[in-house]
Amino acid sequence: MKLYDYVLSGNCYKIRLFMAFLDLDYEKVGVDFYPGREHKSDSFLAINPLGQLPVLEDNGVVIRDAQAILVYLANRHDPSGQWWPQADHAQFAQVVQWLAFADSITGTSSAARLHDMLGYDLDIVAARAGAHRLFRILDSHLSQQEFEGHHWIAGPSPTIADIACFPYTALAGDGGIDTFYYPAIQRWIHRLTRLPRYHNMPGINVFA
Amino acid sequence: MDSVVSFAGWMPAGLQNAAETGTSVRAVIFEDDIAIWRGQDGLARAWQNRCPHRGMRLSYGIVRENRLTCLYHGWTYDGTGGCAHIPAHPDLVPPKSIRAKAYGCVETGGMIWVARSESSEPPPQISGTWMPCRTMQVNRSLTGLAEVLGTGKANLALAMGAWAGQLRVAGLQGAVLLAVQPMGARGAMLHACVTGPEDLTRASDWIESLRGHLERPIAA
Ligand SMILES: N[C@@H](CCC(=O)N[C@@H](CS)C(=O)NCC(=O)O)C(=O)O
Ligand code: FES
Repeated sequence: MKLYDYVLSGNCYKIRLFMAFLDLDYEKVGVDFYPGREHKSDSFLAINPLGQLPVLEDNGVVIRDAQAILVYLANRHDPSGQWWPQADHAQFAQVVQWLAFADSITGTSSAARLHDMLGYDLDIVAARAGAHRLFRILDSHLSQQEFEGHHWIAGPSPTIADIACFPYTALAGDGGIDTFYYPAIQRWIHRLTRLPRYHNMPGINVFA
Repeated sequence: MDSVVSFAGWMPAGLQNAAETGTSVRAVIFEDDIAIWRGQDGLARAWQNRCPHRGMRLSYGIVRENRLTCLYHGWTYDGTGGCAHIPAHPDLVPPKSIRAKAYGCVETGGMIWVARSESSEPPPQISGTWMPCRTMQVNRSLTGLAEVLGTGKANLALAMGAWAGQLRVAGLQGAVLLAVQPMGARGAMLHACVTGPEDLTRASDWIESLRGHLERPIAA
């Protein structure tokens, strides 16, 4: 398996983290996202016409979108079914719902981070407000889960929904978004960093 | 806007479960930035959120046993705030003068309370057993909050002589303990505790709707 990767990308980190949780071997192909803009080069656009990272290649299959890659890896390499539970229809739908939510976190929190760290020209007020709106929803959901005795987004054990929502929630501070407003999110971040084989990404200042 | 009221006496700084054993979290009270952390001994500490070395936030710190290690260069502080170890000078016994600035910190009513060290007020004592329910950030200055709380349908001002008060909420078995933690330009944190698990979900819904009410634009 080959992962087109950039070390400071939270979406690439989703895949690196899940590979570690599943204890999988793979090859990393570094893409010079900044300052090289290699993800917009003709050769990379031939791999992903959206010009986005991450992309996974496995036996001739090319998959773009972090959430799609998580689904693929879970289906292929997690015989326990823990990370992508399919037996319960409602839980299955929950996981899909929060995978989509994760991409909205990218659209707001990650955008704010690109603005603050790399000087991207975008509406920073709207990006931060959008992220706060989503974090209120996530914090409320995680609180409800705790009331039920559950510690994860979609049920009693962690799923790919937790992995998908994690990086740009934990990295939100880089975009000037204060996550200390959200105590249930803080507890969930700490829990995730204590999972076996967890490893950190630069910028996530939480240690197990 | 909030200049009339300032940080004097004991203030709510979070629900007890905001700082779990072995973690350090951030709290803001008016303009004070505070790190709250809990050692393996179960004790919560509140310190100025600035490492005496170069000012790194101690809420990013790493808790081991009953010590806090700064993320930046690893200066390590004991449970009372005294510097116990400096990795760059492993053989040095750090001078007594290197100390994290500690606040008073007690837990009562399911909440963490802090006071500036110079405060001589006795710590609050809230009777009964309270279970942490929700903390919610609300985008309203204290002045705005007082305005809405005083006039609103909930008529909360009455209950909140100080920063916390007990309320009766329709549909709940027990009471709600509500506390307000002002954060200056950041609005405020609302903290709610309940008397038992049966009220958690309903109290949580209630405080969500209270926030909606508080954030509605005030007619000019
Ligand atoms: N929906 C995609 C979003 C990926 C994404 O936004 N990737 C960033 C890097 S973290 C990127 O390549 N941005 C460049 C662009 O969107 O033009 C996913 O989840 O993988
Ligand atoms: S700033 Fe804390 S150890 Fe240097």
